[in-house]
Amino acid sequence: MAALRSSTARLLGAASRPVLRAPAAPAAVRGMAQVTDGQQQNLAASADQAKLKTFQIYRWNPDTPTEKPRMQSYTLDLNKTGPMVLDALIRIKNEIDPTLTFRRSCREGICGSCAMNINGTNTLACLCRIPAEDNAEMKVYPLPHTYVVKDLVPDLTQFYKQYKSIKPYLQRDTPAEDGKEYRQSKADRKKLDGLYECILCACCSTSCPSYWWNSEEYLGPAILLQSYRWLVDSRDEKTAQRKDALNNSMSLYRCHTILNCTRTCPKGLNPGLAIAEIKRDMAFSG
Amino acid sequence: MASIARSSLLRQVASARPAFQQQNVIANAARATAFHTTARRDLLPPLPQHVEGTVNDAAPVPETSPSHGSYHWTFDRLVAGSLIPLTVVPFAAGSLNPTLDAFLCATILIHSHTGFQNIIIDYLPKYRTPRARKIFMWGLNAATAVVGLALYEFETTDVGITETIKRVWTA
Repeated sequence: MAALRSSTARLLGAASRPVLRAPAAPAAVRGMAQVTDGQQQNLAASADQAKLKTFQIYRWNPDTPTEKPRMQSYTLDLNKTGPMVLDALIRIKNEIDPTLTFRRSCREGICGSCAMNINGTNTLACLCRIPAEDNAEMKVYPLPHTYVVKDLVPDLTQFYKQYKSIKPYLQRDTPAEDGKEYRQSKADRKKLDGLYECILCACCSTSCPSYWWNSEEYLGPAILLQSYRWLVDSRDEKTAQRKDALNNSMSLYRCHTILNCTRTCPKGLNPGLAIAEIKRDMAFSG
Repeated sequence: MASIARSSLLRQVASARPAFQQQNVIANAARATAFHTTARRDLLPPLPQHVEGTVNDAAPVPETSPSHGSYHWTFDRLVAGSLIPLTVVPFAAGSLNPTLDAFLCATILIHSHTGFQNIIIDYLPKYRTPRARKIFMWGLNAATAVVGLALYEFETTDVGITETIKRVWTA
Protein backbone atom coordinates (compact mmCIF):
# COMPACT_ATOMS: atom_id res chain seq x y z
CA MET A 1 0.00 0.00 0.00
CA ALA A 2 2.72 2.42 0.98
CA ALA A 3 4.57 1.77 -2.24
CA LEU A 4 1.47 2.25 -4.28
CA ARG A 5 0.60 5.44 -2.52
CA SER A 6 4.04 6.93 -3.05
CA SER A 7 4.08 5.97 -6.71
CA THR A 8 0.66 7.46 -7.41
CA ALA A 9 1.70 10.60 -5.60
CA ARG A 10 4.77 10.79 -7.81
CA LEU A 11 2.80 10.14 -10.97
CA LEU A 12 0.31 12.84 -10.16
CA GLY A 13 3.17 15.07 -9.20
CA ALA A 14 1.11 16.63 -6.52
CA ALA A 15 3.19 16.41 -3.37
CA SER A 16 1.34 19.30 -1.91
CA ARG A 17 -1.96 17.40 -1.96
CA PRO A 18 -3.12 15.79 1.24
CA VAL A 19 -1.65 12.32 1.12
CA LEU A 20 -4.72 10.60 2.48
CA ARG A 21 -7.21 11.87 -0.03
CA ALA A 22 -5.65 10.52 -3.19
CA PRO A 23 -5.58 6.82 -2.27
CA ALA A 24 -9.05 6.88 -0.75
CA ALA A 25 -10.78 5.81 -3.95
CA PRO A 26 -8.39 3.04 -5.08
CA ALA A 27 -8.24 1.64 -1.55
CA ALA A 28 -11.95 0.89 -1.69
CA VAL A 29 -11.57 -1.04 -4.91
CA ARG A 30 -8.50 -2.96 -3.82
CA GLY A 31 -9.71 -3.67 -0.29
CA MET A 32 -10.17 -7.17 1.03
CA ALA A 33 -13.25 -9.15 0.05
CA GLN A 34 -16.23 -7.82 1.92
CA VAL A 35 -19.07 -9.92 3.27
CA THR A 36 -21.55 -7.57 1.63
CA ASP A 37 -19.97 -8.09 -1.79
CA GLY A 38 -20.44 -11.82 -1.56
CA GLN A 39 -24.03 -11.44 -0.44
CA GLN A 40 -24.78 -9.12 -3.31
CA GLN A 41 -23.32 -11.62 -5.73
CA ASN A 42 -25.32 -14.43 -4.18
CA LEU A 43 -28.47 -12.35 -4.34
CA ALA A 44 -27.83 -11.55 -7.99
CA ALA A 45 -27.15 -15.20 -8.75
CA SER A 46 -30.19 -16.57 -6.96
CA ALA A 47 -32.63 -13.77 -7.72
CA ASP A 48 -33.87 -15.47 -10.87
CA GLN A 49 -34.19 -18.93 -9.27
CA ALA A 50 -35.16 -18.07 -5.72
CA LYS A 51 -37.37 -20.82 -4.31
CA LEU A 52 -39.65 -18.83 -2.09
CA LYS A 53 -41.76 -20.59 0.51
CA THR A 54 -44.21 -18.98 2.86
CA PHE A 55 -44.62 -20.22 6.40
CA GLN A 56 -47.73 -19.30 8.32
CA ILE A 57 -46.94 -19.56 11.98
CA TYR A 58 -49.24 -19.40 14.98
CA ARG A 59 -48.41 -16.46 17.18
CA TRP A 60 -49.70 -15.69 20.64
CA ASN A 61 -47.97 -13.57 23.19
CA PRO A 62 -48.71 -14.07 26.91
CA ASP A 63 -47.69 -10.45 27.55
CA THR A 64 -50.83 -9.32 25.72
CA PRO A 65 -53.27 -12.05 26.75
CA THR A 66 -56.36 -10.22 25.49
CA GLU A 67 -55.09 -10.26 21.92
CA LYS A 68 -56.33 -13.21 19.95
CA PRO A 69 -53.84 -15.68 18.50
CA ARG A 70 -52.98 -14.89 14.90
CA MET A 71 -51.15 -16.45 11.97
CA GLN A 72 -48.05 -14.61 10.85
CA SER A 73 -46.51 -15.19 7.43
CA TYR A 74 -42.80 -15.39 6.81
CA THR A 75 -41.30 -15.93 3.37
CA LEU A 76 -37.94 -17.62 3.00
CA ASP A 77 -35.74 -18.55 0.06
CA LEU A 78 -35.35 -22.31 0.30
CA ASN A 79 -31.99 -22.13 -1.48
CA LYS A 80 -30.55 -20.58 1.65
CA THR A 81 -32.46 -22.66 4.16
CA GLY A 82 -31.79 -26.14 5.46
CA PRO A 83 -34.09 -28.94 4.33
CA MET A 84 -36.17 -29.30 7.51
CA VAL A 85 -38.92 -27.16 8.99
CA LEU A 86 -36.82 -26.60 12.09
CA ASP A 87 -34.09 -25.07 9.90
CA ALA A 88 -36.66 -22.67 8.51
CA LEU A 89 -37.93 -21.77 11.98
CA ILE A 90 -34.41 -21.15 13.25
CA ARG A 91 -33.68 -18.99 10.21
CA ILE A 92 -36.85 -16.99 10.76
CA LYS A 93 -35.88 -16.47 14.39
CA ASN A 94 -32.31 -15.52 13.51
CA GLU A 95 -32.94 -13.28 10.55
CA ILE A 96 -36.54 -12.10 10.38
CA ASP A 97 -38.30 -12.13 13.73
CA PRO A 98 -36.39 -12.81 16.95
CA THR A 99 -39.65 -12.80 18.94
CA LEU A 100 -40.78 -16.10 17.40
CA THR A 101 -40.71 -18.67 20.18
CA PHE A 102 -40.37 -22.44 19.92
CA ARG A 103 -38.60 -25.28 21.70
CA ARG A 104 -35.74 -27.07 20.02
CA SER A 105 -32.64 -28.85 21.12
CA CYS A 106 -31.05 -31.77 19.33
CA ARG A 107 -32.25 -31.12 15.73
CA GLU A 108 -32.15 -34.87 14.98
CA GLY A 109 -35.33 -36.33 16.43
CA ILE A 110 -33.91 -37.59 19.71
CA CYS A 111 -35.03 -34.99 22.26
CA GLY A 112 -38.67 -34.46 21.29
CA SER A 113 -38.57 -30.73 22.02
CA CYS A 114 -39.70 -29.42 18.64
CA ALA A 115 -43.00 -31.33 18.49
CA MET A 116 -45.58 -29.16 16.74
CA ASN A 117 -48.46 -29.36 14.33
CA ILE A 118 -47.11 -28.89 10.80
CA ASN A 119 -49.59 -28.84 7.92
CA GLY A 120 -52.16 -30.52 10.13
CA THR A 121 -49.96 -33.35 11.39
CA ASN A 122 -48.25 -33.53 14.74
CA THR A 123 -44.59 -34.18 14.12
CA LEU A 124 -41.11 -33.11 15.04
CA ALA A 125 -40.05 -30.01 13.12
CA CYS A 126 -36.52 -31.39 12.89
CA LEU A 127 -37.70 -34.57 11.15
CA CYS A 128 -40.21 -32.84 8.86
CA ARG A 129 -38.87 -32.03 5.42
CA ILE A 130 -40.03 -28.82 3.72
CA PRO A 131 -41.77 -30.06 0.56
CA ALA A 132 -39.79 -28.41 -2.25
CA GLU A 133 -41.98 -29.60 -5.12
CA ASP A 134 -44.83 -27.19 -4.56
CA ASN A 135 -44.87 -23.65 -3.23
CA ALA A 136 -47.96 -24.04 -1.10
CA GLU A 137 -47.88 -22.26 2.24
CA MET A 138 -46.86 -24.31 5.25
CA LYS A 139 -48.93 -23.91 8.38
CA VAL A 140 -47.29 -24.39 11.73
CA TYR A 141 -49.34 -24.58 14.92
CA PRO A 142 -48.47 -25.68 18.44
CA LEU A 143 -49.60 -29.16 19.50
CA PRO A 144 -53.41 -29.20 19.39
CA HIS A 145 -55.53 -29.00 22.55
CA THR A 146 -52.67 -27.91 24.74
CA TYR A 147 -52.42 -24.79 26.84
CA VAL A 148 -50.06 -22.54 24.92
CA VAL A 149 -47.27 -20.87 26.84
CA LYS A 150 -46.18 -18.74 23.90
CA ASP A 151 -46.29 -19.09 20.10
CA LEU A 152 -45.31 -22.73 19.42
CA VAL A 153 -44.54 -23.68 23.02
CA PRO A 154 -47.22 -25.89 24.62
CA ASP A 155 -47.59 -26.52 28.33
CA LEU A 156 -46.90 -30.22 29.00
CA THR A 157 -47.32 -30.15 32.78
CA GLN A 158 -50.26 -32.56 32.82
CA PHE A 159 -48.45 -34.88 30.39
CA TYR A 160 -45.42 -35.11 32.66
CA LYS A 161 -47.55 -35.48 35.79
CA GLN A 162 -49.31 -38.41 34.18
CA TYR A 163 -45.97 -39.89 33.17
CA LYS A 164 -44.86 -39.68 36.78
CA SER A 165 -48.07 -41.38 37.93
CA ILE A 166 -47.24 -44.64 36.10
CA LYS A 167 -43.94 -44.95 38.00
CA PRO A 168 -41.67 -45.18 34.96
CA TYR A 169 -38.82 -47.00 36.66
CA LEU A 170 -37.87 -50.55 37.55
CA GLN A 171 -39.70 -51.73 40.67
CA ARG A 172 -38.19 -54.80 42.26
CA ASP A 173 -37.90 -56.27 45.73
CA THR A 174 -35.75 -59.35 45.23
CA PRO A 175 -32.05 -58.83 44.55
CA ALA A 176 -30.40 -60.42 41.54
CA GLU A 177 -29.40 -64.07 42.09
CA ASP A 178 -25.69 -63.56 41.51
CA GLY A 179 -25.61 -60.10 43.05
CA LYS A 180 -24.84 -58.55 39.68
CA GLU A 181 -27.15 -56.80 37.25
CA TYR A 182 -30.72 -57.98 36.62
CA ARG A 183 -30.46 -60.28 33.62
CA GLN A 184 -33.11 -61.04 31.04
CA SER A 185 -33.25 -63.37 28.07
CA LYS A 186 -32.87 -62.13 24.53
CA ALA A 187 -36.53 -62.90 23.91
CA ASP A 188 -37.57 -60.81 26.92
CA ARG A 189 -35.34 -57.97 25.81
CA LYS A 190 -36.89 -58.12 22.38
CA LYS A 191 -40.31 -57.36 23.87
CA LEU A 192 -39.04 -53.89 24.76
CA ASP A 193 -38.17 -53.04 21.17
CA GLY A 194 -40.62 -50.55 19.78
CA LEU A 195 -41.38 -49.31 23.30
CA TYR A 196 -38.18 -47.98 24.78
CA GLU A 197 -37.52 -45.73 21.78
CA CYS A 198 -40.35 -43.37 22.74
CA ILE A 199 -38.99 -39.87 23.35
CA LEU A 200 -42.16 -38.50 24.99
CA CYS A 201 -42.62 -35.73 22.45
CA ALA A 202 -46.40 -35.83 23.08
CA CYS A 203 -47.22 -35.90 19.35
CA CYS A 204 -49.42 -38.98 19.77
CA SER A 205 -51.21 -37.93 22.94
CA THR A 206 -52.12 -34.53 21.54
CA SER A 207 -53.42 -36.10 18.32
CA CYS A 208 -55.83 -38.36 20.22
CA PRO A 209 -59.43 -37.07 20.36
CA SER A 210 -60.04 -39.11 23.50
CA TYR A 211 -57.11 -37.35 25.11
CA TRP A 212 -58.42 -33.99 23.93
CA TRP A 213 -61.70 -34.53 25.76
CA ASN A 214 -60.36 -36.31 28.84
CA SER A 215 -56.74 -35.36 29.39
CA GLU A 216 -57.52 -34.88 33.10
CA GLU A 217 -58.18 -38.58 33.62
CA TYR A 218 -57.26 -40.55 30.49
CA LEU A 219 -53.52 -41.19 30.32
CA GLY A 220 -53.15 -40.94 26.55
CA PRO A 221 -51.16 -43.09 24.10
CA ALA A 222 -47.65 -41.93 24.99
CA ILE A 223 -48.04 -42.65 28.70
CA LEU A 224 -49.82 -45.96 28.03
CA LEU A 225 -47.01 -47.00 25.69
CA GLN A 226 -44.57 -46.32 28.51
CA SER A 227 -46.86 -48.11 30.93
CA TYR A 228 -46.73 -51.16 28.67
CA ARG A 229 -42.95 -50.85 28.44
CA TRP A 230 -42.81 -51.48 32.22
CA LEU A 231 -45.60 -54.06 32.19
CA VAL A 232 -43.76 -56.36 29.79
CA ASP A 233 -40.34 -55.86 31.34
CA SER A 234 -39.38 -59.28 32.69
CA ARG A 235 -37.25 -57.66 35.42
CA ASP A 236 -40.13 -55.67 36.90
CA GLU A 237 -41.97 -57.27 39.82
CA LYS A 238 -44.87 -54.87 40.30
CA THR A 239 -46.80 -55.90 37.20
CA ALA A 240 -49.97 -56.63 39.17
CA GLN A 241 -49.91 -53.21 40.87
CA ARG A 242 -49.25 -51.53 37.55
CA LYS A 243 -52.26 -53.27 36.05
CA ASP A 244 -54.44 -52.38 39.03
CA ALA A 245 -53.55 -48.73 38.55
CA LEU A 246 -54.93 -48.88 35.00
CA ASN A 247 -57.99 -50.95 35.90
CA ASN A 248 -60.70 -48.28 35.98
CA SER A 249 -62.97 -46.69 33.42
CA MET A 250 -60.77 -43.67 32.67
CA SER A 251 -57.01 -44.33 32.73
CA LEU A 252 -56.85 -46.93 29.96
CA TYR A 253 -60.31 -47.68 28.63
CA ARG A 254 -60.98 -44.24 27.15
CA CYS A 255 -58.91 -45.50 24.21
CA HIS A 256 -61.35 -46.22 21.39
CA THR A 257 -58.68 -47.42 18.93
CA ILE A 258 -58.85 -44.26 16.83
CA LEU A 259 -55.17 -44.90 15.98
CA ASN A 260 -54.24 -41.27 15.33
CA CYS A 261 -51.34 -42.01 17.69
CA THR A 262 -49.82 -44.66 15.44
CA ARG A 263 -50.34 -42.57 12.33
CA THR A 264 -48.63 -39.51 13.73
CA CYS A 265 -45.70 -40.98 15.71
CA PRO A 266 -42.55 -39.33 14.30
CA LYS A 267 -40.46 -42.23 15.56
CA GLY A 268 -42.59 -44.82 13.80
CA LEU A 269 -43.73 -46.53 16.98
CA ASN A 270 -47.13 -48.12 17.51
CA PRO A 271 -48.83 -46.88 20.70
CA GLY A 272 -52.17 -48.24 19.46
CA LEU A 273 -50.78 -51.77 19.43
CA ALA A 274 -49.26 -51.32 22.89
CA ILE A 275 -52.62 -50.20 24.29
CA ALA A 276 -54.37 -53.13 22.61
CA GLU A 277 -51.86 -55.47 24.22
CA ILE A 278 -52.45 -53.95 27.65
CA LYS A 279 -56.19 -54.46 27.16
CA ARG A 280 -55.65 -58.06 26.07
CA ASP A 281 -53.38 -58.83 29.03
CA MET A 282 -55.87 -57.29 31.45
CA ALA A 283 -58.80 -59.14 29.88
CA PHE A 284 -57.18 -62.54 30.35
CA SER A 285 -55.52 -61.96 33.71
CA GLY A 286 -58.31 -60.22 35.62
CA MET B 1 -70.66 -15.69 25.86
CA ALA B 2 -67.74 -14.88 23.67
CA SER B 3 -69.28 -14.13 20.30
CA ILE B 4 -71.75 -11.52 21.53
CA ALA B 5 -69.33 -9.84 23.88
CA ARG B 6 -66.58 -9.83 21.34
CA SER B 7 -68.58 -8.30 18.52
CA SER B 8 -69.67 -5.40 20.74
CA LEU B 9 -66.12 -5.01 21.89
CA LEU B 10 -65.02 -4.88 18.29
CA ARG B 11 -67.61 -2.23 17.53
CA GLN B 12 -66.37 -0.12 20.41
CA VAL B 13 -62.81 -0.46 19.29
CA ALA B 14 -63.76 0.27 15.71
CA SER B 15 -65.70 3.43 16.54
CA ALA B 16 -62.91 4.73 18.73
CA ARG B 17 -60.31 4.45 16.00
CA PRO B 18 -59.80 6.30 12.72
CA ALA B 19 -60.94 4.73 9.47
CA PHE B 20 -57.65 3.26 8.31
CA GLN B 21 -57.30 1.36 11.57
CA GLN B 22 -60.86 0.16 11.30
CA GLN B 23 -59.84 -1.78 8.22
CA ASN B 24 -57.10 -3.36 10.25
CA VAL B 25 -59.48 -4.40 13.01
CA ILE B 26 -61.86 -5.96 10.51
CA ALA B 27 -59.00 -7.83 8.85
CA ASN B 28 -57.83 -9.06 12.24
CA ALA B 29 -61.31 -10.22 13.16
CA ALA B 30 -61.59 -12.08 9.86
CA ARG B 31 -58.29 -13.75 10.53
CA ALA B 32 -59.41 -14.67 14.05
CA THR B 33 -62.59 -16.27 12.79
CA ALA B 34 -60.49 -18.32 10.42
CA PHE B 35 -59.36 -20.24 13.49
CA HIS B 36 -62.83 -21.59 14.11
CA THR B 37 -63.63 -24.26 11.59
CA THR B 38 -66.76 -25.36 13.43
CA ALA B 39 -69.68 -23.32 14.66
CA ARG B 40 -68.91 -21.62 17.93
CA ARG B 41 -71.23 -23.09 20.50
CA ASP B 42 -69.87 -22.86 23.96
CA LEU B 43 -70.66 -26.36 25.11
CA LEU B 44 -68.09 -27.16 27.76
CA PRO B 45 -65.52 -24.56 26.71
CA PRO B 46 -61.98 -25.33 27.89
CA LEU B 47 -61.36 -24.08 31.40
CA PRO B 48 -58.34 -22.05 32.40
CA GLN B 49 -55.42 -24.31 33.14
CA HIS B 50 -55.51 -25.84 36.59
CA VAL B 51 -52.63 -27.79 38.05
CA GLU B 52 -53.50 -30.26 40.79
CA GLY B 53 -50.87 -29.92 43.53
CA THR B 54 -47.46 -28.80 42.33
CA VAL B 55 -46.06 -29.44 38.87
CA ASN B 56 -43.79 -32.09 40.36
CA ASP B 57 -46.58 -34.20 41.87
CA ALA B 58 -47.76 -37.25 39.98
CA ALA B 59 -51.29 -37.16 38.60
CA PRO B 60 -53.68 -38.95 41.00
CA VAL B 61 -54.21 -42.66 40.28
CA PRO B 62 -57.91 -43.64 40.36
CA GLU B 63 -59.15 -46.50 42.51
CA THR B 64 -59.02 -49.99 41.06
CA SER B 65 -62.44 -51.16 39.91
CA PRO B 66 -62.43 -54.02 37.40
CA SER B 67 -66.21 -53.81 37.00
CA HIS B 68 -65.68 -50.44 35.32
CA GLY B 69 -62.37 -51.46 33.80
CA SER B 70 -61.22 -54.82 32.52
CA TYR B 71 -64.41 -56.84 33.24
CA HIS B 72 -66.51 -54.16 31.62
CA TRP B 73 -64.28 -54.07 28.56
CA THR B 74 -64.16 -57.87 28.22
CA PHE B 75 -67.95 -58.08 28.57
CA ASP B 76 -68.29 -55.36 25.92
CA ARG B 77 -66.11 -57.30 23.49
CA LEU B 78 -67.95 -60.57 24.12
CA VAL B 79 -71.30 -58.91 23.46
CA ALA B 80 -70.00 -57.23 20.29
CA GLY B 81 -68.41 -60.50 19.16
CA SER B 82 -71.54 -62.54 19.73
CA LEU B 83 -73.52 -60.07 17.65
CA ILE B 84 -71.63 -61.09 14.51
CA PRO B 85 -72.94 -64.70 14.23
CA LEU B 86 -76.35 -63.61 15.54
CA THR B 87 -76.76 -61.12 12.70
CA VAL B 88 -75.27 -63.43 10.05
CA VAL B 89 -77.38 -66.49 10.88
CA PRO B 90 -80.78 -65.03 9.85
CA PHE B 91 -79.32 -64.16 6.43
CA ALA B 92 -78.01 -67.69 5.99
CA ALA B 93 -80.90 -69.61 7.53
CA GLY B 94 -83.76 -67.33 6.49
CA SER B 95 -85.03 -66.80 10.03
CA LEU B 96 -84.23 -67.33 13.70
CA ASN B 97 -86.08 -69.41 16.22
CA PRO B 98 -87.80 -67.37 18.97
CA THR B 99 -85.13 -68.08 21.57
CA LEU B 100 -82.28 -66.95 19.35
CA ASP B 101 -84.36 -63.99 18.22
CA ALA B 102 -84.87 -62.92 21.83
CA PHE B 103 -81.17 -63.41 22.46
CA LEU B 104 -80.34 -61.18 19.48
CA CYS B 105 -82.69 -58.49 20.82
CA ALA B 106 -81.12 -58.62 24.27
CA THR B 107 -77.59 -58.48 22.87
CA ILE B 108 -78.35 -55.49 20.66
CA LEU B 109 -79.92 -53.76 23.64
CA ILE B 110 -76.92 -54.38 25.90
CA HIS B 111 -74.52 -53.43 23.11
CA SER B 112 -76.21 -50.09 22.51
CA HIS B 113 -76.50 -49.47 26.24
CA THR B 114 -72.77 -49.84 26.81
CA GLY B 115 -72.10 -47.84 23.65
CA PHE B 116 -74.16 -44.91 24.89
CA GLN B 117 -72.55 -45.28 28.27
CA ASN B 118 -69.16 -44.84 26.65
CA ILE B 119 -70.36 -41.70 24.89
CA ILE B 120 -71.65 -40.22 28.14
CA ILE B 121 -68.40 -41.06 29.95
CA ASP B 122 -66.41 -39.47 27.12
CA TYR B 123 -68.32 -36.24 26.79
CA LEU B 124 -69.66 -35.58 30.29
CA PRO B 125 -66.62 -35.82 32.55
CA LYS B 126 -67.46 -36.49 36.18
CA TYR B 127 -65.11 -33.89 37.60
CA ARG B 128 -66.62 -31.22 35.38
CA THR B 129 -70.33 -31.95 35.02
CA PRO B 130 -71.26 -34.37 37.82
CA ARG B 131 -74.98 -33.53 37.73
CA ALA B 132 -75.42 -33.78 33.96
CA ARG B 133 -73.48 -37.02 34.07
CA LYS B 134 -75.84 -38.46 36.65
CA ILE B 135 -78.96 -37.24 34.81
CA PHE B 136 -77.81 -38.67 31.49
CA MET B 137 -76.75 -41.99 33.01
CA TRP B 138 -80.12 -42.49 34.70
CA GLY B 139 -81.87 -41.29 31.57
CA LEU B 140 -80.00 -43.94 29.62
CA ASN B 141 -80.90 -46.58 32.20
CA ALA B 142 -84.57 -45.60 31.95
CA ALA B 143 -84.48 -45.64 28.15
CA THR B 144 -82.83 -49.07 28.13
CA ALA B 145 -85.44 -50.39 30.56
CA VAL B 146 -88.31 -49.05 28.43
CA VAL B 147 -86.82 -50.42 25.22
CA GLY B 148 -86.14 -53.74 26.97
CA LEU B 149 -89.75 -53.95 28.10
CA ALA B 150 -90.99 -53.07 24.64
CA LEU B 151 -88.77 -55.68 23.02
CA TYR B 152 -89.96 -58.26 25.55
CA GLU B 153 -93.56 -57.48 24.67
CA PHE B 154 -92.74 -57.57 20.99
CA GLU B 155 -90.96 -60.91 21.24
CA THR B 156 -93.59 -62.60 23.38
CA THR B 157 -96.80 -61.27 21.80
CA ASP B 158 -95.73 -60.43 18.23
CA VAL B 159 -93.63 -61.94 15.43
CA GLY B 160 -90.16 -61.02 16.69
CA ILE B 161 -87.43 -58.79 15.35
CA THR B 162 -85.95 -60.79 12.45
CA GLU B 163 -89.37 -61.61 11.07
CA THR B 164 -90.37 -57.91 11.27
CA ILE B 165 -87.27 -56.79 9.41
CA LYS B 166 -87.95 -59.43 6.78
CA ARG B 167 -91.51 -58.22 6.26
CA VAL B 168 -90.51 -54.54 6.20
CA TRP B 169 -87.71 -55.36 3.75
CA THR B 170 -89.99 -57.01 1.22
CA ALA B 171 -92.99 -54.70 1.82
